[in-house]
Amino acid sequence: MHKLIIKDLSKTYANGVKALDGVSIEIENGLFGLLGPNGAGKSSLMRTLATLQEADSGSAKLNDIDIFKQPHELRQVLGYLPQEFGVYPRISAEQLLNHLAILKGITKTSERKEVVKYLLNKVNLYDQRKKSVKGFSGGMKQRVGIAQTLLGNPKLIIVDEPTAGLDPGERNRFYNLLADVGKEVIVILSTHIVDDVRELCTKMAIMNEGRIVYHGSPDDAMNALQGKVYQKIVSRETLDTYAEQYQIISNKMVGGKPLIHVYSDTDPQNDFEQVKPNLEDVFFSKINTSHQLV
Amino acid sequence: MFKHFFLFEIKNALKQPMIYIFLGLLALLTFGATASDNIQIGGSVGNVLRNAPHVITVYTTVMTIFGLLMAAAFYNNAALRDFSNEFNEILFSTPLKKSSYFFGRFCGALLLSTIPLLGVFLGAALGSIAAPLFGWIDADRFGSFYLETFTNNYFLFILPNMFIAGSVIFALANIWKSTVISFVGALAIIMGYIISGNLISDIDNETLGALSDTFGIRAYSIYSKYYTPIEKNTLSPGFSGLLLWNRLIWISFGGIILLASYLNFSFQEKNKRIKKQEKSTEKSTEKFILPVLEIDFGRSSVWLQFKSFFLMNFLSIVKNVTFRILFLFSAILLITGLIGGFEYYGLQSYPLTYKLIDDIDGNASLFVIIILVFFSGELIWRDRNSKIHEVIDATPHTSLISLAAKTLSLISLTVLLQLFFIFCGVVYQLVNGYFRIELEVYFLDFFYANFLAYAIWSGVMITIQVLVNNKYIGYFVSISVIFIWSIVLEIFDVSSFMLTIAAGPSTLYSDMNAFGPGLYGAMMFNLYWILFSILCLLIAGALWNRGLRSSLKDRLNIAKKQVPRNYKPLIFGTAFVWLVVTGFVFYNTQILNPYKTSDEYEQMAADYEKQYKKYQNVPLPKIVDAKYSIDLFPYERNVDVKAVFKIVNETQVQIDSIHFNIDKDWSPAFDLPNAEIVFEDKEMGYLILGFDEPMLPGDTIEMIVTSQYISKGFKNGRGSTSIINNGTFLNNFEILPSLGYDEGQELSEKNTRKKYDLKPKIRMPKLEANCGANCMRNYLSQGASDYINFETTISTASDQIAIAPGSLTKYWEEKGRNYYQYKVDHPSQHFMSFISAKYEVAKRKWQGIDIEIYYDAKHHVNIEMMLDAVERSLAYYTENFGPYMHKQCRIIEFPRYATFAQAFPGTMPYSEAFGFVVNLEDETENNVIDAVISHEMAHQWWAHQIVGANMQGATMFSESFAEYSALMTMKSISKTPMKMREFLKYDHNRYLRGRGGEIEAEQPLYKVENQSYIHYGKGAVILYALQDYIGEEKVNRAMQGFLEEYKYQPPPYPTSLDFMKYLEKEVPDSLQYLITDWFKEITLYDNRMTSAVYAPLENGKFEVTLEIESYKMRADSLGNETKIAIHDWIDIGVFTDEEEEQLLYQKRVLIDQEHMNFTFEVDSLPMRAAIDPRMLLIDRIYDDNIKDIKMSEL
Repeated sequence: MHKLIIKDLSKTYANGVKALDGVSIEIENGLFGLLGPNGAGKSSLMRTLATLQEADSGSAKLNDIDIFKQPHELRQVLGYLPQEFGVYPRISAEQLLNHLAILKGITKTSERKEVVKYLLNKVNLYDQRKKSVKGFSGGMKQRVGIAQTLLGNPKLIIVDEPTAGLDPGERNRFYNLLADVGKEVIVILSTHIVDDVRELCTKMAIMNEGRIVYHGSPDDAMNALQGKVYQKIVSRETLDTYAEQYQIISNKMVGGKPLIHVYSDTDPQNDFEQVKPNLEDVFFSKINTSHQLV
Repeated sequence: MFKHFFLFEIKNALKQPMIYIFLGLLALLTFGATASDNIQIGGSVGNVLRNAPHVITVYTTVMTIFGLLMAAAFYNNAALRDFSNEFNEILFSTPLKKSSYFFGRFCGALLLSTIPLLGVFLGAALGSIAAPLFGWIDADRFGSFYLETFTNNYFLFILPNMFIAGSVIFALANIWKSTVISFVGALAIIMGYIISGNLISDIDNETLGALSDTFGIRAYSIYSKYYTPIEKNTLSPGFSGLLLWNRLIWISFGGIILLASYLNFSFQEKNKRIKKQEKSTEKSTEKFILPVLEIDFGRSSVWLQFKSFFLMNFLSIVKNVTFRILFLFSAILLITGLIGGFEYYGLQSYPLTYKLIDDIDGNASLFVIIILVFFSGELIWRDRNSKIHEVIDATPHTSLISLAAKTLSLISLTVLLQLFFIFCGVVYQLVNGYFRIELEVYFLDFFYANFLAYAIWSGVMITIQVLVNNKYIGYFVSISVIFIWSIVLEIFDVSSFMLTIAAGPSTLYSDMNAFGPGLYGAMMFNLYWILFSILCLLIAGALWNRGLRSSLKDRLNIAKKQVPRNYKPLIFGTAFVWLVVTGFVFYNTQILNPYKTSDEYEQMAADYEKQYKKYQNVPLPKIVDAKYSIDLFPYERNVDVKAVFKIVNETQVQIDSIHFNIDKDWSPAFDLPNAEIVFEDKEMGYLILGFDEPMLPGDTIEMIVTSQYISKGFKNGRGSTSIINNGTFLNNFEILPSLGYDEGQELSEKNTRKKYDLKPKIRMPKLEANCGANCMRNYLSQGASDYINFETTISTASDQIAIAPGSLTKYWEEKGRNYYQYKVDHPSQHFMSFISAKYEVAKRKWQGIDIEIYYDAKHHVNIEMMLDAVERSLAYYTENFGPYMHKQCRIIEFPRYATFAQAFPGTMPYSEAFGFVVNLEDETENNVIDAVISHEMAHQWWAHQIVGANMQGATMFSESFAEYSALMTMKSISKTPMKMREFLKYDHNRYLRGRGGEIEAEQPLYKVENQSYIHYGKGAVILYALQDYIGEEKVNRAMQGFLEEYKYQPPPYPTSLDFMKYLEKEVPDSLQYLITDWFKEITLYDNRMTSAVYAPLENGKFEVTLEIESYKMRADSLGNETKIAIHDWIDIGVFTDEEEEQLLYQKRVLIDQEHMNFTFEVDSLPMRAAIDPRMLLIDRIYDDNIKDIKMSEL
C-alpha cells in the first residue's frame, strides 16, 4: 500500500494569486478524483506533486520520499500527464515513447520494445506507431500522453484533465486502463467533469481558491446532502429574487427556463421539489458558498 | 483605404519599442565610431575628417546590411500581422481593396524600415558635437555637415536598399507566412551580396562587381576608389556613373518582385496541401504482453539517457528546414568563394589544402555563428515550444544530462557542416586536377582552429539561454557576447585572450611550418576555455528551469535544495581544475611572457621619444667590419648570437659613450674594452655604454655583442614567427641592438601624436641640393655603417640548411649539427638575413654566377620558372646597368606568416604564399614570379650598389628603379605591345587608390617619402611611360651613368636631384615638360574619346575620325586639382578587336587644345579607338579613353 501525505501546502504566485492555501490530504492506492472549477489550484497542486513547482511552505511525502527534498527519487516512481501535452515535430509515437521509456529507467532494449508496443496497443495507436506525432489529432496526441504516463512501473500517477479532447469511446478505454493500474498504485485525476469522478473514484477532493473544501468519498458527500436539495423551474425575471431569498447551489437552463437547485435544511415550500442530490450538487454546494448565480 | 493601412502600420510600430531600440542601436554604433579613437572604421585617418561625407556614406552603406535584418522584422510584421493574430478571415471577408491593403502595408513597412538608419546621421551628428566638447577628439578633426550627404544617402542607399530587401521579404512572408523564412530571405540577400564580392576580387571584374551588388556598397566603393582626402571630405555620393546604374538595376529588380508578389497575392486561402491519410489495411495480429520491467537508474541508464537525448535533439535539427537552408547557403558561399577569389594580378594559387582551409574557415565561421546562436535557443526552448517540457521535466534524469546532450548535438551540427566543407574542398581539389590532398591537415586544422572553439561556444550559448531564460533575450545576449564584447575589450584596451571567449593564438597552417609556433599556446587556451565552458554547463545544469518558469533567484534556491549530492564535488572539482589551468595560462602569458597592449605601446613610443629624442644626434662610431656567429636551435626555438664588430670614430669629435637601442627579449650583452654600462632602461630599451677613455677621431676598436633568444612557455599570441621549427628567418636588426636613438619607434600619425602632446613628425628630411649631415647617412643603415665586409658562421639542426649572405666558404658537421661559413665577396650594405629550414635546392650557373633556389619539397612546380626569371634579370641588368657584384643569387622560401620578398646582398627570401604555389600554367596571364624576382634582383643594383641619402626622394632610385627594371625584363619577353598594359593597370590602380589613403601629404615622385603607392605604383607607371616617350636606351643610360658615379661610394650619398641631372641630359627639349609634370609635380590627365567613326574608302582602306577631349591637372598634396594648359604628346590608336589585343594603328600626336579632331587612314576594319591606348598616362577614369568605332553615317 502506497501513501501520499500532503501537509499544509501553500503557494502564492508573484502576482499575488494564492494558488495553494494550506492544502492537506492523505491519499492511498486507488483512483483519487480532484474536482474544482478553473483556477481552483488543481494544476498547481498536481505540478507541485510532480516536482515541477516549489511550494512556499508545507510538505509532501510519498511513502518515504520527501517530494521537495528528493525530487529525483520521486520522479523515478512518477507517471505524469500535464494538462497541456504536446509532442516533438517529426518524431513518431514509437520513437517518442522509446525515448521516454529510457528516461524512466527501462534500460533493456527488448523490454522497452515490448512495453512500448503493449502501451501503444492499449491506447489503440499501434497501427500508427511509425507516424510523426505532429500529424496526430488532439485526441491521438492525448493518447500518446496517456501511454507515456504508464511507462515504467510508476507508483504515483498524476493525470491533469486527461479526457479533454477524447471522444466517449476513447474516454471509456482510458478509464478502464486507469482502473486497471489504479488497484496497485495511487492515481490522482483532476477534472472539472463531475461524472468522471462519480464513475471512477472511490475517494475525492474538491478544491476551490487554493483550498480543499471537501475530502472524502463521493457517496459520503452525496449522502450528507440527502434531503437538503430542492429544485424549481423559475422564470428568468424572478431569478434574482430567488437568489436573494434562498441558498442557491446552482442554476442552469432546462428547456429554455432556469432550473435552480437550492440548499435548505427544511422544505422551502413555494413549489420547490426535493431531489436526490447528485455529485454536481455537492460540487456546487462546496464551491458556491456565497450562493451566487453562475 | 491605402492611407488607412499605411498609417496604421506606422502608428502601430511607433507604439512599439522595437523601432526605437533599432534606431538607438545604430545611432550608438555610429556615435561610437565617430567619437571614439579606439574604433576605426570608415577610414577617417590622417587628413580625412571623422564626419567626412565619404565616411558617413561608408557608415550608411555598411549599416544598411544591419538595417536589412531590422527591415525583415517590419516587413514580416506587416505581411503576417493579420495571420498571426488570426484576424485574416474576419478582415478579408470585408469589402476592402487588395491594392490598398497590399501597398498600404508595404509602404508603411518601407518607411518604417528606413527610420532606424537615420540613426547613422543622428549618431554621426551627436558624435561630432560630443567628441570635441568632452575633449575626446580635437575639434579640427570634424568638418561641417552637408544636407546633400543626408539626402543623397537616403535616396541612393537607405530607401532603395530597404525597398529591394523589402520586396523580397514581403513576397516571401506573403507566400510562406513564416517568420523564420522571412529572416532566411534577408540572409539570402546578404548572401547574394557576399557571393557577388567573391566573384569579383580582381580589378578586371570591377564593373561586374559594382553592378551585381544588391546594396550598392561595392558600387560606391568603386565609384569612390580614387577619392583623394579632400574629395572624401567634401563629396557626397551622386546620382551618376556605375552607382546610378547599380541603383536602377536593383530598384527595377525589387519592383518586379513586388509586382509579381502583388499579382500572386489573394485574400482567399490558397489550397492548403492536405495530406491524404493512408489507411493501414493490415490489422496487427501481434500479441501484446506487458513484460516484467527491470527499472534501472544506475550508471548505464545515465549513458543511455544521454544517447537518447542526443539523438532526439540532433535529429530534430538535422531535419529542420532552417538548418537545411543554412547548410545550402554555406555550401554556395564556399563554392563561389573557391571559384572566385583572385589573389594578385588576376592570378590564383593551386588549390593547396591550406588555401582550402583558409576558404573553409572564412566561410564557415559566419554560418557556424548563426547556427550556434539560433539553434542554442531552439534546443533549449524546444521542449517548451513543443509543450512536452512538463513530461520530460518530470522524468528522473539529471538536467545536466539533457543539457550536455543538447550541447553535444549543437557541436555535432558544426562537425557535420565542417565535414561537408571538407568534402567540398577535396572534390574541388580533385576537379582541378590537384592530387596532393592532405586529409590529416583538413582534420587537424578543424580540430585545432575550429572544433574546440565551436565546442566552447556551444556550451556558453546553451548556458546563456538557460540563465537568461528567454529565447529572444538569449539571442540578443549571445550576439552581444560575440560582437559587442570584443568592441568593449578594445575600448578598455584589454587584449588578453583570457577574456575573449574561445580566443587563442593563431594556428595558421603553412606547408613549411605546419601549424606553427602558436599551437601549444592555442591548445592551452582551448583547455582553459573548454573547462570554462564545462563549468558554465555545470552551473546551467543546476539552474536549468524544470517545470514552471521561475526567476533566477528562485532557481538558485531550488538548486540549493534539489541538486544531487555528487553534483557539488563535480562543480567544485571542475572549478578547481579550471583555476589551476587559469593560473598556468596566466603565468605563461602575463608573467613569463608579458606583453603590451596597443595603448601601452603607444604610450611607450611617446615616452621613448620624449626621453631619448635628445640623443638623436650624439656622435656615434660606425661599424666597418662584422663577424657573426649564430647558433640556431629551430626545434627549441632558441638562438645564440655573437657578433664581433670593428667600430671606428669617423666623426671629428671625441666619442665618450655609445648609445644602443636594445630589445630585452634578446638580453644583449656587451664586451668592450674600457667601457661600462652607464645607463640602462630595459623597459623602453635604451642603453648607454660609457668609455673610460673617449674614442678619438680615427680610433678603431673591437666590440663584441652577444645576445640570445630563449623561448619560454607560451604567449598571449602566436609568438615569434621568425624563430620557428622550419623556416627561421631573422635579420641583423632583429637579433642585435642598433646603434643610437631609433627614430623608427616614434609615433607617426599626426592625430595620435597630438594625443601625446607631440608635434607632427617630419616624415623625412627635405630634399636639398647641397646637403650636409643628411647626405652622410643613407636611409637604410641610418649612419650606423656604410659598405662593409662581413662574414657569418651559422649552425643549425642536422636536418636543416642554414643560409646567410655571401659565398659559402666552409661547411662541417659537429655534435650532430650543421655548420656553415659565409663571407660576402664585395663590401655590401650591412643588411643580413639568417635563414634555416629543410630545403631542396635547385641550381643553375649563369656566366660564373650560381643561381640557387631553396624551396620546400612540396613546392617544386614553379622552380624552373624562377631560375629563368633570375637568369633573365641578370642578363638584362648586367647589360644595361653594370656588373653583378656577388657570386650567387639565392631565392629562399620562408613560411607564409608574411607575404613579401626582400633583397639582402645576393640573397632573397621569398614568401611561401605568393609565387611558389601560384598557378602560372596559362602563359598569357601576368606572371607574378617574374615580377617579384626581377624586382628583388633589381635591388641588387638599386639599393645595394647605390642607395639614397636619408631624405625625400631616396626610395625613387631603389623601389621605383627596381619596379622599372622588373617591367623592362617582362617587356623583353612579352609578345605583344598590349601585354604590358595588363600589368601596368595594377600599378595605376595602386597609385590612384594609394593616394586616397594618404594620411599626411602626397609628394611628387622625386620627393617621395617612402610612400609605397608613389615609389612602387607611380614610379613604375612614370618610368615605364618615360622609356616609351624618350626611348629605353636613354632612360637606361641615365640610370647607368648615375649608378656609375655613385656605386659603392662612401658618403655623401646621392639624392634624387643627382639622378635628375643625368636624366635631364637624355630628355629632348620637346619633352622636357615631362620632367616637371611627372617627376616634380603631381600631374593627372583626363582624356576621353567623345566620338569615333570610320568610313570605308574606295581603295579598300578605312578613314577614321576621332574627337578627343583632353585636360591636364595639377594636384596639391591633399588632392585639390587645378586645370593647366595642355600641350602634350599623347598616343591615339585603333584596335581591330574587342579584346584590345591587336593595336592596328598608333600615333603620338600633339594635343594643344582641350577638344581636338584627328583623321587618318588604316588598312583593316577598325573596331575600337583609344586615346593613350597603352595606358601610359595617369588618368583617373581610363574607361572613357576607349570607344567602339562606328561606321560614319554619311
